[in-house]
Amino acid sequence: MASGSHRPELRSGTASRSVSGEEDIAIDMTTSEKVVDLLNQAALRTTENKLVDLKQVQELIINKDPSLLDNFLDEIIAFQTDKSMEVRKFVIGFIEEACKRDNELLLKLIANLNMLLKDESVNVQKKAILTLTQLYKVALQWLMRSKVVSEMQEACWDMVTQMKEDILAMLDSDNDGIRTHAIKLTESVIIALSPRTPDSDVPKKQEGDISLDKIPRDHSYIRYDTLCEEGKAALDKLLKFMVHPAISSINLTTALGTLATLARQRPMVMSEVVQAYETLHANLPPTLAKSQVSSVRKNLKLHLVAVLRHPSSLEFLAQISTLLLDLGMNQNEINRCTPAPRDQRKRPHMEAFAEGKKKIKMEPTLIEDDEDKEEPAPALAPKPVATPANQSAIDVTADFLFPLLSPENVANLVLISMVYLPNVMPASFQATYTPVESAGTDAQIQHLARLMATQITAAGIGPGVEQLKAREEEQQQPGKEAGPGEGPSEELASGKDLIIKRKVSLVSHGQAISVLGGYAGKIPAKAEDVPQAKTLPQPIVLSALAKTASSSGRKKVFRLADVVQPLTELQMTKLTNLSVQRILKSEKAIARSGMAHVRVKLLARLATQFEGAMKRDMLTFILDDIRSRSDLAFALLYQEYNIYLGQQAGASLDNYEYCLFTLLSGLQEKPEQRDGLFTKLVLEAPLITESALDVIRRYCEDETRVYLGMTTLKELILKRPSRQFQYLHVLLDLSSHEKETVRSNALSFIKRMYDKDQLRDYIERFALNYMQLLVHPNPPSMFFGADKDIEVASPWTEETVMQCLYLYLALLPLNHKLVHELAAVYTEAIADIKRSVLRVIEQPIRGMGMNSPELLLLVETCPKGAETLVTRCLNILTEKVSPSPELVERVRDLYHKRVADIRFLIPVINGLEKTEVIQALPKLIKLNPTVVKEVFNRLLCAQHSEGGSSVSPVTPSELLIALHNIDSTKCDMKSIIKATNLCFAEKNVYTSEVLAVVMQQLMDQSPLPMLLMRTVLQSLTMYPRLGGFVMNILSRLITKKVWKYPRVWEGFVRCCQRTKPQSFSVLLQLPAPQLSSMFERCPEMREPLLQHVHSLTPHQQAHIPASIMTVLEAGSKEPEPEPEPEPVEPMEDQDVHTQPAPIKVEQPEEAPVVVQMPEPVLPQYPPPNTEEAEPQMQTTTSAFSPQEEPAEPIPQQEEVTEQEQCASPLPAEQEAEHPTEEALPEHSDEAEQPNESSEENVMETDTGAVDE
Amino acid sequence: MPSHPLRVAVVCSSNQNRSMEAHNILSKRGFDVRSFGTGSHVKLPGPAPDKPNVYDFKITYEQMYNDLVRKDKELYTQNGILHMLDRNKRIKARPERFQSCKDQFCLVITCEERVYDQVLEELSSREQESFQPVHVINVDIQDNHEEATLGAFLICELCQCIQHTDDMENEMDELLQEFEEKSGRPFLHTVCFY
Repeated sequence: MASGSHRPELRSGTASRSVSGEEDIAIDMTTSEKVVDLLNQAALRTTENKLVDLKQVQELIINKDPSLLDNFLDEIIAFQTDKSMEVRKFVIGFIEEACKRDNELLLKLIANLNMLLKDESVNVQKKAILTLTQLYKVALQWLMRSKVVSEMQEACWDMVTQMKEDILAMLDSDNDGIRTHAIKLTESVIIALSPRTPDSDVPKKQEGDISLDKIPRDHSYIRYDTLCEEGKAALDKLLKFMVHPAISSINLTTALGTLATLARQRPMVMSEVVQAYETLHANLPPTLAKSQVSSVRKNLKLHLVAVLRHPSSLEFLAQISTLLLDLGMNQNEINRCTPAPRDQRKRPHMEAFAEGKKKIKMEPTLIEDDEDKEEPAPALAPKPVATPANQSAIDVTADFLFPLLSPENVANLVLISMVYLPNVMPASFQATYTPVESAGTDAQIQHLARLMATQITAAGIGPGVEQLKAREEEQQQPGKEAGPGEGPSEELASGKDLIIKRKVSLVSHGQAISVLGGYAGKIPAKAEDVPQAKTLPQPIVLSALAKTASSSGRKKVFRLADVVQPLTELQMTKLTNLSVQRILKSEKAIARSGMAHVRVKLLARLATQFEGAMKRDMLTFILDDIRSRSDLAFALLYQEYNIYLGQQAGASLDNYEYCLFTLLSGLQEKPEQRDGLFTKLVLEAPLITESALDVIRRYCEDETRVYLGMTTLKELILKRPSRQFQYLHVLLDLSSHEKETVRSNALSFIKRMYDKDQLRDYIERFALNYMQLLVHPNPPSMFFGADKDIEVASPWTEETVMQCLYLYLALLPLNHKLVHELAAVYTEAIADIKRSVLRVIEQPIRGMGMNSPELLLLVETCPKGAETLVTRCLNILTEKVSPSPELVERVRDLYHKRVADIRFLIPVINGLEKTEVIQALPKLIKLNPTVVKEVFNRLLCAQHSEGGSSVSPVTPSELLIALHNIDSTKCDMKSIIKATNLCFAEKNVYTSEVLAVVMQQLMDQSPLPMLLMRTVLQSLTMYPRLGGFVMNILSRLITKKVWKYPRVWEGFVRCCQRTKPQSFSVLLQLPAPQLSSMFERCPEMREPLLQHVHSLTPHQQAHIPASIMTVLEAGSKEPEPEPEPEPVEPMEDQDVHTQPAPIKVEQPEEAPVVVQMPEPVLPQYPPPNTEEAEPQMQTTTSAFSPQEEPAEPIPQQEEVTEQEQCASPLPAEQEAEHPTEEALPEHSDEAEQPNESSEENVMETDTGAVDE
Repeated sequence: MPSHPLRVAVVCSSNQNRSMEAHNILSKRGFDVRSFGTGSHVKLPGPAPDKPNVYDFKITYEQMYNDLVRKDKELYTQNGILHMLDRNKRIKARPERFQSCKDQFCLVITCEERVYDQVLEELSSREQESFQPVHVINVDIQDNHEEATLGAFLICELCQCIQHTDDMENEMDELLQEFEEKSGRPFLHTVCFY
């Protein structure tokens, strides 16, 4: 591989291809052609195939025909920018192979490698590192061989060196894999840059590799010393890397392997390696997981064994075997690995140097340690640590410690270090712990001493370190060179000033504490410095060192100020918080010790002294289990309040408020809090702030807790008089809450509190103020919480009106005087509100009762505009009970003296005198039909009620009679007819007997009432069996000269018409003129009557006056002549005076015959069955009705019907009658309507609604 | 790595059950997989615990199969050995010994701690040349058919996860921790270098 000789050939080979022999050309051509082909192909292929092609090319130009290498170099290198990472890795591999094949190529390719080393892909970077690991040695060797080093070569080597440094720096990379590879490079560099010694264990394949010893000291460019230093620096770096506390398990494993390799190949570093192993074993990184700990230990064991197998390990046998024993290997296995032959050789030599003391120490160990086997004894004999020339600081310190480890000291050490034990057992400890079998034996003490020495030395203290320093000083003093530029060393170098020395030691001491105390991340920085700076140079520098007695080892004066540093703000806060946390968490332990009250007090004071998170944490802590921590909560609260009181005037309550607020809201947010802690907290808090009050309010608004919340509030109101109105206000506010439960609870609480004199006024004022809002045209915006985005000018709704009234209405039954306020508001309010008010007052008014003096007063005074309200009150009061005399008196008074509105009387109508009722009737029946109906109901139902709680002033018959007697000037006929119809509709009341009485009485009157015959007809329709009675009536009417009353006469005729043939006998009683007038009205009656006469017995016929017969027969023969001479009027007059007499005489004879027939029947009939009677009635009525009142304006009928259908829920059959019988004349409607203001409408619809 | 199939070696002691089961599954999932044993001989259960059938690594699965059929077809059918050998011979001709194989892998998975130790010993006793890292992971699997199947799936899942990492070495630690938690068994893990 002598590249120098190859190069010219290569050059000429490519240049003079054509000059070569033909065969050569053929081969050459084919190979190169093939390469060209492959390269062309590769450029176009996919990654995988590309790689295949490129590998072929590599094979061809590196192995098969290296002469082509130079030719195609550029083409292959061009792939270094390929997109595929694999291809780039291939390029790196190619660079490695090519450079190995032809070292000169390094000149060209090293820059490419450098570029690829900075590739974006981690995997490419790793490959580049691997390659440099190889090429570093190659480059060094190549440079060595060159007698004359060109500038190019120098630059190339500089670059290699630079790359090496870069990679060493990568030990701190973030990437685990990169670090792993960097470790391997470090290994390779250290091997190359350190001398190979006879005892080096060199792998066969690396026999030819370069090492420091092969580097000529007189090389033109490369300096032996520089390389040596670089090698040492690399080792430093590696050792430093190893003790990093957060080293990953893979890095650690790798480093362990590297150290083993180093120890075997360069035994001179074995002491560092063993020490590093010891340090590691005692301080496994805390970041390792359990399984990683086992992996690392396994590796450690493996590598230790590998190191042990090396002959030079003998010096360290004791340490190594201790470690191996700790790692679970047994003595036998260790012995097997110990290199025997050299032992034999060295043992006497070593023993000679061994100190007697140590020998003695070791021997008992063997006996005790190996109870089972005798064999190992001889092998262990050499164990006594020969004092190696370069006895390390650890050894010195261990020796120093050994005699100090008395049981007492050890016990003290254990006790002290207990404090520093971590809370959780570190995985490494868990994995490695094995019970100490040989406790107390020298071997074990020795081991312990060594373990401690490792730690102490790592911390940079102890006699060993002192000694070392002393030696360093000695070395450095001559040159006056401060070693590594660190402060302590410089100071050390400047002299042996004791004070300075102590300072250094003390700083170290401080560190030692942290190292021993915990495993926190403080070790690295310090531990790194010390061994590296002071112990590392040992192997090389100390070789010829004369061991001087340590000048140190003396006790140091401890000064706190030197050890401690001021903590940063952050640290302090953190520490404070942690302490408080600990106190918080030690709850149970302290409770057991009975000092809970001290803890509580302490915590309260602490929390109040510090701002911020601590308070919050503590409150959270309390809230986590408030029940058992309430004492702390109270302590905290009082403490805060106390502080507030202690402050100057104008102090802020913020802290106290925050505390209280957090506690209360915490409680409020907690579900299931039944034990009244909330109440307790509220009641015992020294001060209730606004925000706290808000929480209480929210608590009350919670439906599940409303009762508890309000009880609390009530207690507050009653027990904190100074602010009771503030609390009361909250409660009052809640009384108009939108949630029903909240509201009703609040109301019931308020009602209870209303008894208290001092609160009553406030509550009343609040309620009235609230009600007063109703006079505004729009509800105030406060009704809509801020969240509800409703315009202020929104109209009143049922809800908003109610909101204003809840409280008032609740109070009204308790204080009747308030009713006047309502009246006052009512008069001012708009119609919508009035309607709502009328609707809602029912309950409270009923609760007040009609005997309430205030209500009576209201009726009496009835403010203007409140008439509807008063009416409504009256209605409510009398709905179920009959009015009391006082009430009646008041109403009557009101009616007569102030407001002559007949409607006032309706509610108390049953309380009025009969005359009053009859007087009022004309006005009453002019009202809306529904109201009329209601009036009648009152009058008639009261009649019916059997309990006799109230007795109607008028009987049904009296009522009906009164209706007939209404002066038609006071009331139009239509209303009267309607009213009578209402009576007829009450069939239960107006039985046939009642009607008979009515008819009887009406008939006796004089003059005859206009509606008499209508009522007769109606009765007959309803009760057909009254026929006999009606006949009697008819005959009596004849005696009363019924024809004098045109309307009655008309009805008479129609009645006769309907009751034929029964009526024939009555007709025959008519005087002739009247009979003929009747026939004029209905001629069809004449023939049947004539026949009837004919059918009579001759005796009977004889009774019939001739004039009658003439009238009867006139029609059949000469219908014309008779009517002409008969002017109706004069005839009537004549009749009245002349004719009736005989008939009158006869009537008593005849009438009994007719009348008596039905009379016996009457009582026998069951009360009229309306259902049977109805169809008949209907048909008959409708049959004759069109003729009944032909004069009436029919066009109105439909309109009126509609009105009535809407207004009154009358039975269907009655409605059928309306068009004919109840057709209202237009004027009557008009008469009613103008009177009715909008208010009246309100009332009427209202009444309707209530009735429904 | 993702573009390149992982070069995986699965190692148990006899290269019969656990490693072959995993070999079977991994190759089906497209891994570049090989399997090995680390024992000095291939041992298969015999008629009694103390009378195993011992073969040299040179003997093919086919031969072992025939041998066992000859010895006691009933027994070896019943305990599944024949079935296993039948499967094995369809994967490769004969068991291989890890120590005799000089090929390089990215990942070596061992099936018990003893095997792991042997692999480590073997790898570290070799002379380093390329410094190419190889990760060795131990997954403890009991030597029976059921556990072998379960273990093989676990190994397969592990390999798939590793295959899918962008940067295997950087993510391996975390990945293994996750797997430990998930599977509830500890994994020994180390890296060696060729």
